[in-house]
Amino acid sequence: MSEQELQINPIVQDSVAHNTKTLTNLHSLTASLFGVGAGILGLESYYGFLFYIAFSITTSLLFYILQIAPSSLGEGRTVLDSGRYYRGALELWTSGIFNGLPGFILTWTLFYGLVRA
Amino acid sequence: MAWLSRPLTVIGLVILAHGCYSAHEHTVLSSTSVQHPTSPSATSLPLDIYIETIAATLLICLGLVLGSGTPEPIQWHTWAGKIEREGDSTSGDADKELRSNPFNALEARSGFINISKLRSDFVKYQQLGK
Repeated sequence: MSEQELQINPIVQDSVAHNTKTLTNLHSLTASLFGVGAGILGLESYYGFLFYIAFSITTSLLFYILQIAPSSLGEGRTVLDSGRYYRGALELWTSGIFNGLPGFILTWTLFYGLVRA
Repeated sequence: MAWLSRPLTVIGLVILAHGCYSAHEHTVLSSTSVQHPTSPSATSLPLDIYIETIAATLLICLGLVLGSGTPEPIQWHTWAGKIEREGDSTSGDADKELRSNPFNALEARSGFINISKLRSDFVKYQQLGK
């Protein structure tokens, strides 16, 4: 985004921080939960990561449908456009995957060990 | 819809705990039973445990998403317009100071003060007291 465009349409930094914090909290919590699920099912190697990626994207989709879509569509934006709340599309859809990965692996290995002991 | 968040999460956690217990019992039973002396890693879980775990995960996920706060618009004109229209509806006490109405200073400023009129009123009041 160019300097001139930022001057014309200023951005509220507090809101940006608040949105990022909301999304990060959600993904950290759900990633630990998916680790529990993957550990209970006893998934190994690639299947565990596929499980994680699939459920992480599902979480983002749920977040979009329940929290973003009502006001975003009301504003006249197209479907799956998160521009009202996030600066880039990638921020909503993929940043959560990398935020939650350590928590996921932690609980995955823990519950795999607990259930299969 | 936010009130649904807590019950959904709790129900999901109970179901997930039950699924965890079932999976554990299944592993222990199948590794110690005489009829099927197979190694734990070779036995696969029954289908209902798979369904139970995935359903519980989705349920908790739904509860957590409903419970996560609503995002705020990032563009200044959208954000300020929303506050102007709907009033300052931020719920969190800690965040309230941070994200209050940006036009509060303009809304709450005092009008012009007519000093000479106040002065003459005061003089009248003083003379009345004597």
